[in-house]
Amino acid sequence: MSITLYDFELSGNCYKLRLLMSILKLRYDVIPIDFYPGRQHKSDAFLRLNPFGQLPVLQDDDLTLSDSGAILAYLAKKYDATGQWFPNDPAITAQVLRWHAVADDITATSSAARLALGMFYDVDLEKAQQGAHRIFRLMDEHLWFGEREGRDWLCSPAHPTTADIACFPYVMLSEEGGIARQDYPALRRWTDRVRRIPGFIVMSGIFPAGRALETV
Amino acid sequence: MTLSLSDPNWYPIASSEDLPFRHVYQGQLLGRELAVWRADDGNVNVWENRCLHRGVRLSIGINEGAELKCQYHGWRYANRSAGCTYIPAHPADAPARRIENRTYPVVEAYGLIWSAANDDKPFTPFPGAETGDWFALRPMPVNATPEAVLAGLAGLAPDDQPAQTLPGLAIRLGDTLYFVQPVDAGRSVIRGLLPGQPADTIVTLRHINETLTKLRDRLERAAARQPAPTPLQPVFERVSADLATMPDIAIPRGATMPVVVKRKWASADGVIGFELADRDNRHLPTFQPGAHIDVHLPNGLTRQYSITNGPGDLLSYVIGVKQESASSGGSKVLVETVREGDVLAISEPRNNFPLRRDATRTVLIAGGIGITPLLSMARFLDKSALPYELHYFTRADEQIAFRSELGALHGKVVLHTGLPRPQIADTIASALGTWRLAQHVYVCGPAAMLETVRSTAAAQHWPEEAIHFEYFKNDKTIDDSSSFEIELARSAMTLHVPAGKTILEVMREAGLTVPSSCEQGACGTCLTAVMEGEVDHQDVYLNDSEKASNSCMMTCVSRAKSQRLVLDI
Repeated sequence: MSITLYDFELSGNCYKLRLLMSILKLRYDVIPIDFYPGRQHKSDAFLRLNPFGQLPVLQDDDLTLSDSGAILAYLAKKYDATGQWFPNDPAITAQVLRWHAVADDITATSSAARLALGMFYDVDLEKAQQGAHRIFRLMDEHLWFGEREGRDWLCSPAHPTTADIACFPYVMLSEEGGIARQDYPALRRWTDRVRRIPGFIVMSGIFPAGRALETV
Repeated sequence: MTLSLSDPNWYPIASSEDLPFRHVYQGQLLGRELAVWRADDGNVNVWENRCLHRGVRLSIGINEGAELKCQYHGWRYANRSAGCTYIPAHPADAPARRIENRTYPVVEAYGLIWSAANDDKPFTPFPGAETGDWFALRPMPVNATPEAVLAGLAGLAPDDQPAQTLPGLAIRLGDTLYFVQPVDAGRSVIRGLLPGQPADTIVTLRHINETLTKLRDRLERAAARQPAPTPLQPVFERVSADLATMPDIAIPRGATMPVVVKRKWASADGVIGFELADRDNRHLPTFQPGAHIDVHLPNGLTRQYSITNGPGDLLSYVIGVKQESASSGGSKVLVETVREGDVLAISEPRNNFPLRRDATRTVLIAGGIGITPLLSMARFLDKSALPYELHYFTRADEQIAFRSELGALHGKVVLHTGLPRPQIADTIASALGTWRLAQHVYVCGPAAMLETVRSTAAAQHWPEEAIHFEYFKNDKTIDDSSSFEIELARSAMTLHVPAGKTILEVMREAGLTVPSSCEQGACGTCLTAVMEGEVDHQDVYLNDSEKASNSCMMTCVSRAKSQRLVLDI
């Protein structure tokens, strides 16, 4: 196997793949793509790889894949021997895919606001921020009741899945889009948990969490 | 009602459940952002949400259990006192200063965390608080004014059972209490309490959550039609220029503070423990691992003792004193005459033995009473989950001091008891191993042991800058046969220093007040800047490059190689 990631260091969607590959202890090569300001993801060479003109792209031997959610599922199904990160159970698969879709909504709102404020993208900032708050409210409620019901993660298994990885980066980077997380205490606690997954790595703007208290 | 920044009322700002250990909760009250965190001892801290260094939010910091660490620049603040315990790049022996983050009063009660904008009013429970076993509801943030939210809650009451308004933006609806947390002029959080856990908890919580969600949506739609109120404008007090600038290397001013001997006990055979606390139970100044205090003794002597405390442990300092039968000096007075309840004068903590926190491996080697500074270092490394090994050499099992404190550490603690001398050297050699980049060794103990560590480490290719010693004593013989002139630049005096007298003694005879402590060139108290002349250093306090710079000296033991020294005094 030889994995190559077409990567932009400051992209949360690329970071999702680096994060999962770090957790799964996979080795991979990186080809940096200058998303900003170079707009290399719209270059002819890149469009030949991914006609949608979006990062990330991942190559595994002869296979070329795009879309961070799809690639997360691919990596988990192919390289996660435990089967935990993308479980085979039909009901849980549906839950994971449901949250992959939420992750895309978070990208369309929180990440868009960040692009507007940090990379001068022409988006409706206020609409993007409001949209992010609407999703964060739902996530906070889901996670708060999860804590009461003994569930620590977005989906029902007792361990994290690719759903948690997919939703995590642009929640953490929301402040860069002017979206405070003060009103979402359960969401903040969930980000602590994600940041304590063995193999967790950082990216610019995403700090490690402190160690959990070992109460053993 | 208009919200006021100085409103002294207590409001709930979080649920107890919001504060798992090692998490930092972000809250806000009356426009002031709060970092709220529970330390490992259970204490809840409510602090202004900014690092004093650059104003970065502390709610993105790391809760290390006893300290909160800002992840941008590494400043650390202690549990309870909010005293800054670590400033990167500051000289480790900079004078201790009370740099404290702003704290707010806090009470944890009825499943909620309560706070107030100031200390003007004591916490009073709501009417009937003592009768219930209260159960906190899911908080509901609302983007609407606190008064509109309170009115909206009142509107939830059925006609035949109107809501009862309570003091402090609170309301009783049947059995349920609702408090409105005034986050800011246009933002609120509804926090509810049920009297006792409901039979079917989740069903009840979901039902109330649904009701409050609908209320929130209604209130927010109404608020959107109104002009947004101006947010409250809390004033951030600036950190004083004195605190915001880099201090010089310490030149202690000789200031002391009184402490009471809270506890005196035999920590081991030959080691007496003393716990020294502020007389009014206030926090003592922060200190760094390896730091010591000067204890001013009833017989006029001053002696240095290392602080053994761990990070954020500021309600008292614990020191260990060696009970030497032959000693006629300070330790004897402490051990024999000072009792619990006595008051002693101590200096603020100073550090001649700074610990690096960027090492990949730290080896701590203690001999006998030398355990005291290393215990403090081990506790800091332990809390920060940094790799370390502590080797503690004693002659007999009964001589192991601070045994329970050592037992509470998670790192590698190895007790070496009753080893014959050659075996000590072998044990040190294997404890050190071969040097690798970013490994450091710290040693405190008898002179022979320091020498063994120094020579062993050198033989195993440890560079000089990776080997750190604490000198309690200057074992060198001081040569005081020279005679020379000193010119005191600030005092406009020229004095003659004859053979057999120290510079310090000559200055005192001339009527000057100059601080000193050990008077043997070990503690650094009498450090003085040299403006001209060549110094004959005989101390063990300055390192070789400081000595070579010829820019400072210890007036208690140093002399002149030149005819004349000009001192900045």
